[in-house]
Amino acid sequence: MSLMFDTWVLFVRAIKKLIRTPILLFFSLFQPIIFLVLFTQLFKNFGQLPGFPGGNYLQFAVAGIILQNGFSSALQSGTSIVDDLTSGFLQKVLVTPVNRSAILLGRLLSDAFRVLVQSAIILVLAFALGATVVTGIPGILLIFLTVAFFGLAWSGISLTIGLRTKSAETVFGIGGTLTFPLLFMSSALVPVGFMPGWIQTVSKLNPISYTVDAVRVLTSTGFDWGTILSAYAVIGGIAIVTLGATLYLFRKVVS
Amino acid sequence: MYIVSDILIRTAFEGLRDSMSEIITVKDLVEVYSDGTKAIQRISFDVDEGQFFGFLGPNGAGKSTTIKVLTTLLRKTSGAVTVAGYDLDKDPKEIRKLIGVQSQETVVDGDLTGKENMILQGNLHQMRGRSLEERVDELLKLVELSDVAKKRAAFYSGGMKKRLDLASALVHRPKLLFLDEPTTGLDPQSRATMWTYLGKLNKDEGITIFLTTQYMEEADKLCRQVSIIDRGQIVASGSPSELKQEIGADAITLSFAEDDERNGGAKAKARELLAAIPGVGNIVDSDSGMTVYAKDASSMIVDIVRAFDANQLHLSSINLSRPSLDDVFLKHTGHRIRTEELVKPPSGMRFRRGRR
Repeated sequence: MSLMFDTWVLFVRAIKKLIRTPILLFFSLFQPIIFLVLFTQLFKNFGQLPGFPGGNYLQFAVAGIILQNGFSSALQSGTSIVDDLTSGFLQKVLVTPVNRSAILLGRLLSDAFRVLVQSAIILVLAFALGATVVTGIPGILLIFLTVAFFGLAWSGISLTIGLRTKSAETVFGIGGTLTFPLLFMSSALVPVGFMPGWIQTVSKLNPISYTVDAVRVLTSTGFDWGTILSAYAVIGGIAIVTLGATLYLFRKVVS
Repeated sequence: MYIVSDILIRTAFEGLRDSMSEIITVKDLVEVYSDGTKAIQRISFDVDEGQFFGFLGPNGAGKSTTIKVLTTLLRKTSGAVTVAGYDLDKDPKEIRKLIGVQSQETVVDGDLTGKENMILQGNLHQMRGRSLEERVDELLKLVELSDVAKKRAAFYSGGMKKRLDLASALVHRPKLLFLDEPTTGLDPQSRATMWTYLGKLNKDEGITIFLTTQYMEEADKLCRQVSIIDRGQIVASGSPSELKQEIGADAITLSFAEDDERNGGAKAKARELLAAIPGVGNIVDSDSGMTVYAKDASSMIVDIVRAFDANQLHLSSINLSRPSLDDVFLKHTGHRIRTEELVKPPSGMRFRRGRR
């Protein structure tokens, strides 16, 4: 009982903070939106190349851009826990009888919620530009679930860095450095067949590719469960490692 | 006549308090950080229910560390501690329900309004609904923040944030309130306001208060029981008046015009001269000179000045005072308390040392 209530209370606090600092929301949305608007214009004719899947770059790239958003906003979530650590807020919470797990759970759920809201905004913009989701409403819901799950797993990385280094700059630095190489060397923005050999290899090992592929079949092909489930397996594996590390470090901090 | 009856009442009152139960018991507490720093050497003390207890000492004496241990934030290295009737190791959760804590750094969430900060704190103590609202409104009124309750705390002044922080430590009606340097960094007016609230809380609401401070004046004014802590050890305990009486004399503070080295051992010479003056009690060296304790100090000043003059020892100032807690501190530690407001290291640094 206390776990649910405490999680809810801390979730609401995080959401309130998010809404009241719209500049943060703006910055993490800014990049995906630039990608969505500029990239898809810049590479428009790319879609006409022989062998380009679906023959439409926008339709192809939407999945990648949704994931990019999930990726970069998840990598920022570690900074909020650093804020709470350095401001003393966490200590203030820890001297109350609050359920310890609720502190982490409230943080993770608010991160997931944030990724969902941002994904919805990007999807609406993509629709306005002419993209579609062939699997309809159920497909869209599954996309949201996938992105949220993906976001949680990657939040684990930034939370781990945050708890370990207690430095928001480090979280930003490492997060920013990771984002672009991982994104460009995945199937997010360019079909694997168009890449030079060594990037193809990296891309096949890159967990982002699996998730992008799952979202892409939902936007463009249909419910291809093989692709979708393998994405969940990969994300699940990452989640166990990253959230496990987060939990371990968090326990060290609170208990 | 007045004075006598006051002392009688006070003694009777303190006797009554002695018979009350202890809300904090600390026996042989030791705290060693993971880097080997001995933050608390070995301290023992008890605090009675209803007490206004002060932990007085300079920066780095171990005050905050003690509070962190007592409030379940930091795991103790060894010793036996009970807080609010519960064992610190066995029932930290029960303790957290009964205590309120205001840490040294003011913690308010600037993105939330004053009232939201308070409601959040109540929620974390499993309070909700109408009764929580009422409690919050009542406390906001007490700390005179009702007018700005719906403004974001980021816009509050330093003193207002401190008051909000104090109020939010009270939402769940704690039996015992821990205040870690509640007035450090406040302007004199805000400090006086804070003192009024704290006195009221202790007197009117019967909340036991455990306060740390580096201000002698604060401990003297607020606390009925004081422990003086220096370098991780308690050097003296008692009521402020007891501690001052222990000195048993007025204090004459002498400052030398030149520093000791250039003056060729002026201090040793001065000591000799002073000891020869009849009636002089304890002589304690301090940073810029020395302090002399004597029963009838005012009649002695002339003798001191004459003796120093005759021996070409130059004094820059001579000061007569009734004993203060400052003198108590000096007597027990050999140095004066330095009230510094250091720029705090990022709290992450302090956090790294094994916390609980």
